[in-house]
Amino acid sequence: MLQYIIKRLLLLPFLLFIFSVIAFALIQAPPGDFVTSYIAELAAGGSAVEQAQIDALREQYGLDQPMTVQYVKWITRILQGDLGVSLDWKKPNAELIGERLALTLLLGLFTFIFTWAVAIPIGIYSATHQYSALDYFFTIFNYFGIATPTFMTALVVMWLAFKYFGVSVTGLFSPEYIDAPWSWAKFMDLLSHIWFPMVILGLDGTARLARVMRANLLDELKKPYMEMARAKGMSEWRLVMKYPVRLALNPLISTIGWYLPLLFSGSVIVATVLNLPTIGPLLLRALITQDMFLAGIIILIYCGLAIIGTLISDILLAWIDPRIRMEES
Amino acid sequence: MQKKLLSWFIVTILLMAVLPALTFAAPALQTGGAYTVQAEDTLGKIADKEYGDPLAYTAIVYYNNQKALEDETFTLIEDPNIVEPGWTIYLPTPEEANAYLIGNIEGGVFNEAPSLAALVDSGDLPPVEERLPDNPLIIPVVEQIGTYGGTLRRGFLGPSDHNNYVRVVYDALVRNSPDGSEVIPHIAAAWESNDDFTQWTIRLRSGAKWSDGEPMTADDIMFWYNDILLNEDLSSSIPVWMQNSDGTVATVEKVSDTEVTWTYDEPNTSFLLELANKDGADLLISNLSYAPAHYLQQFHASYADEAELQAAVDEAGFDTWTELFTQKALAPTNADRPTTAAWVPDGTTVADQVFRLTRNPYYVGVDPAGNQLPYIDTVEFTFFADKQTLNTAAAQGQIDMQGRHIDMSSYPTLKQNEDANNYHVVTWPTFGGSDAAITFNQTYETNPEIGELMRNQDFRIALSYAIDREAIKELAFLGLGEARQPVPAPNHPYYPGDEYAHMYTQFDPDTANEMLDSIGLTERDEEGFRTLPSGERLEIEISVVPAFGNWPDVAQIIAQQWGDVGVRTRVEVRERSLHFQMRDTNDLMTELWNNDTTGFPFSGQPQMDPRSTTATTFAPLIRKWYQTDGAEGVEPPQEIADIVAIIDEAKISNRARQIELAQELFQKWAEDVYQIGTVGLTPMVQGVLVVNDNLHNVPATAGNDWPLRTPGNTRPEQYFYTEQ
Repeated sequence: MLQYIIKRLLLLPFLLFIFSVIAFALIQAPPGDFVTSYIAELAAGGSAVEQAQIDALREQYGLDQPMTVQYVKWITRILQGDLGVSLDWKKPNAELIGERLALTLLLGLFTFIFTWAVAIPIGIYSATHQYSALDYFFTIFNYFGIATPTFMTALVVMWLAFKYFGVSVTGLFSPEYIDAPWSWAKFMDLLSHIWFPMVILGLDGTARLARVMRANLLDELKKPYMEMARAKGMSEWRLVMKYPVRLALNPLISTIGWYLPLLFSGSVIVATVLNLPTIGPLLLRALITQDMFLAGIIILIYCGLAIIGTLISDILLAWIDPRIRMEES
Repeated sequence: MQKKLLSWFIVTILLMAVLPALTFAAPALQTGGAYTVQAEDTLGKIADKEYGDPLAYTAIVYYNNQKALEDETFTLIEDPNIVEPGWTIYLPTPEEANAYLIGNIEGGVFNEAPSLAALVDSGDLPPVEERLPDNPLIIPVVEQIGTYGGTLRRGFLGPSDHNNYVRVVYDALVRNSPDGSEVIPHIAAAWESNDDFTQWTIRLRSGAKWSDGEPMTADDIMFWYNDILLNEDLSSSIPVWMQNSDGTVATVEKVSDTEVTWTYDEPNTSFLLELANKDGADLLISNLSYAPAHYLQQFHASYADEAELQAAVDEAGFDTWTELFTQKALAPTNADRPTTAAWVPDGTTVADQVFRLTRNPYYVGVDPAGNQLPYIDTVEFTFFADKQTLNTAAAQGQIDMQGRHIDMSSYPTLKQNEDANNYHVVTWPTFGGSDAAITFNQTYETNPEIGELMRNQDFRIALSYAIDREAIKELAFLGLGEARQPVPAPNHPYYPGDEYAHMYTQFDPDTANEMLDSIGLTERDEEGFRTLPSGERLEIEISVVPAFGNWPDVAQIIAQQWGDVGVRTRVEVRERSLHFQMRDTNDLMTELWNNDTTGFPFSGQPQMDPRSTTATTFAPLIRKWYQTDGAEGVEPPQEIADIVAIIDEAKISNRARQIELAQELFQKWAEDVYQIGTVGLTPMVQGVLVVNDNLHNVPATAGNDWPLRTPGNTRPEQYFYTEQ
C-alpha cells in the first residue's frame, strides 16, 4: 500500500508538467492575447487606444515573444515558488488566490456537509420506504434537482427573492462588511448569507447523491444476508445501518476525493451569478481576459488537487472496505 | 385705481430706462466696486470689457463671492453662466483680477468639511486657507450650495474597470465642460496660445498641492515630459498629440514654477482637447501630462538607487522597473500615489472588493460660497463579478449615481422600482453619432467581388434605404432616439444640418431594389437572392459583438431587411477579442458598432479618420498605408484622401474654420456612407442613470461621451446629499 502511494506521488510532478503544457497551450489557443482582450474591453467602455500604446503594452508584458519562451519563463518562475503577477489585476497571483481561498474552502465545506447530511438520510429513507408517498416526493424533487442547471435555479430564486421580498441574495456579506476586518459581527453576517449559495450549490449534488444512495441501498437490501440477519432477530434499524448502508456508501466514498479540486475552485458560473468572492469567478475572468498567468496557475493547482484527490479516494476506499484491503495484500 | 397703476407702471418703465443709462455713465469706474448687472450682460462680456479677457470672469466670481459672504448687498454667483439683470456684483480692480488669474492673492474666506476641521483643530492638518491654492477653482453648483457628508455608492466590474474611477474624478489639468462644448480650467488656472497656435502656455495655480500636501508645480509637468514621455524604457513611442508633423516630439519648457509652454512646429488647435483627456485613462502612463515627481522618483531608474529599485521590483514580482513604475504611477493601482483629484484612494485599489476614495484635503476646488469641495466624504466602488448583478443592485437602490454598466434594457425594471427604492432614472443621450452603425470595410480582400461592391457608393446607399430604422428603434431601443446617420447632435456646432443627418435614412425598399439592379446585381438564385457576376451568391456578413446589449438584435433585423431586397446577410455574433483580432487582420467584411466619436473628429481616435485604431474596419489596409508612409497597404482613393485632408487642416485651423471643416467632413461622411447609421441620440451608452433621490446637483441633462469623462464633466465634487 505504502509503495503504491509513493509510486503515485512520484508520478505527480510528471503529470503536473504535462498538465502545465496543456493548460498553457489551451489558454493561448483563443485568438488574440491579453492585450487584444484588454483593448476590446476598453473599447466597449468607449475608449480607444493608439497603436503605439498597444505595441508598448505587448512589449511590456512580453507578449511579443514566442509562446515557448513565454512558457519557459512562466514555468521557471513557478519552480522557484513564484506564482507570478496577474496581467489583469496587477497583483501577485498568490495574493489573489490567497484572499479568496478561505471563503472558497468554507463555502465548499458547508456545501459538502449540507449535501451529505441531506442526501444520505433521504437516500436511506427512500430505499427503505420504496414507493411510499415520501419516496415519490423525494424522487420528483431529486429529478428536478438533477435536471435544472444550478445557475438557472440561482437566477430564478434570486428573481423571486427580489420580486416578492425586495431583497438581494447575492454576495457573502452585507455591503458594510465586505472589506471590514474580521470580527464576530462579520462572521455572523457571513453565516446569514452563506446558507443561500450553500443550498443552491448543494442542490444538484444532493439530488444526485440521494439517487445513488437509494439505488445502492436497494441493491443491498435484497441480498440474502439481510434475510439471515432478520431471521436472527436483529432490529431492522440497527441492521440497515450496520451492513447495507455501509456497503452502499462505498461507491460514494470513492468519489470523496473528487471534491478536493471542487473545494478549491468552487462553482464557476453559479458563483459568478451570485457574485461570490471565490476562486471560480476569478478563473472565469482570467480566461475571458486571457490573463494566462493567473488562469494557468489556477488550472495547475486544480489539476494537482484532482490528482491528489483521486489518490485520497483510493486510500479511503481501501481503508473503509476490507475486501479491497484484502485484495491489495 | 387704474390710473394709479398706470402711472406707477410708467414710472417704473422710466426708471428702468434711466437707471442703466446712469450706471453706464462711467463703466470703467465700476472696477474695484459695486456694479449693477445690465440686461444684456454676461460675466464673460463684463470681464472682456473691464479686463480685456473673457476668461477673467473667474476672478469676478471669486472676488464677488468673497464680498457676498460679508456683505448682503452683493449677490452670490452660484453659476457663472447665470447672472440676472439688477444684481449688484463686486468687480475686482484690474490688479486684483490679474492677481487672481496668475494665482497670487492673499487671504480669502473658506469653509471646509467638519471631518477636516477636526483634523485642523487637532493640528494634524494645516488650515484650509493654506491647503487651497492662492486662486482656488470656483466650481459652479447645478441647483444649490450643498452640505458636507455622505458616501457615493457605485458598482464596478473589477480591475480592468479602472476607467470607472477615471470618469468620476476626471483628474486632468483642464476639463471638458458639462455640455462638452468647450474646455474649462481645472488644476490649471488658465492658458493662452500665440497667434498661430504653435505655442501654448499653461498656467498652474500658485500654492496648489498634491493630495499629500506637497506643492504641485511646473516641475511635475517637466517630470512627466523628461522622465516619462522622453524616457525610452517607459515610452517606446511618442503619442500622436505630442508629435510634430514630422513625427518628432514637441517641446515642453518650464517658464516659471507655475508656467509651462508646449511648442509645436506647426499650428495645433486640438491641444486643449487632448490635454483635457490626459488623466491617466486606460491605465496608461502615456495618457498623463503631469505626475507627482516627488513621489515617483523613488521608482524611476534615473533617480532611484539601483539596488533599492531592483529590490522593490523583485518584491512586487515584476521583471523590470518599468512595470513597477507603471503600477506605481497610476492611482487606480496604487493607493499611495498622490493625486490632484477631489477624492483619493484610501488604501484600497481597483483590485479590491471595495475600491474606496476619501476626500482630498488639498483639492483646489471651492463652491461659489467658498466651501472647499467635494461635498461628499467618500466614494465607494463595490465589485460585481457580473454586469447583471450590478443592474439588479441598481434596481434595489444600492447604487447612488451611475450610468456605467447600466444596460438600456434594464430601463423598464429600473423605472418600476424607482419609488420603492428611493432613486430616480435620468437619461443622458449620447453625444451625436449613431448607436448602431454598420461600417463597410473599404479594403476587404477575402472576396474581391464583394470588396468591389462595398467600395461602390450606390451599393451602400441602396442598403441604407433597405433598413427600416423605425422597426429597429422600437425593437432594440425601447422607442428612444431617432433615425439618423453618424453625425454630431443637432445642438453641436459641428452638426452638418438635417438634410445630412437624415440622408438615405427613409425606409424605401423600392429605391433600394432599383439601385441594386442598376449596379448590375440583377441575377438571382433559386432562393431569390442576388448573385455576384461570377454566379456565386452575394452574401454579406455582419460581425457583431454584444458589447452594449442589443446589437445582435439590431444586426438580425438588418439582415432580415437586406434579405428582403435580395441581399443575403449572415450575422456573426463574435466574442470581443476575436472580433478585434479580425479587425486588425482585415478579415471583417462589415461590422456593427456604435460611432460615438462624432463630437471629437480632430482629436483622439475618431472613426472618420482611416488612420485611427478604432476605424480599422473602415479601411485597415489604408490605415497601414498611412502607418508605413505608403510602403505597405493600399493607397486611399481620392474620396478618403479628402477626408484625411479635412482632418489635417482642421488640426491646424482656428475654431471658426474648424467648425466649417467639421461640417464639411460630416456632410461627406453622410453622403459617402462608408458607415450606415441606424438609430442615434439614445441613452444606450452609459446614458441610463440611477440617481439617489437624496442626491442633488446632478444635472438633468449633460454631454455624455468618453472624451468628456461623463459624469466627470458634470463635476461630481459638487453633488451632495440632503440626507443619507
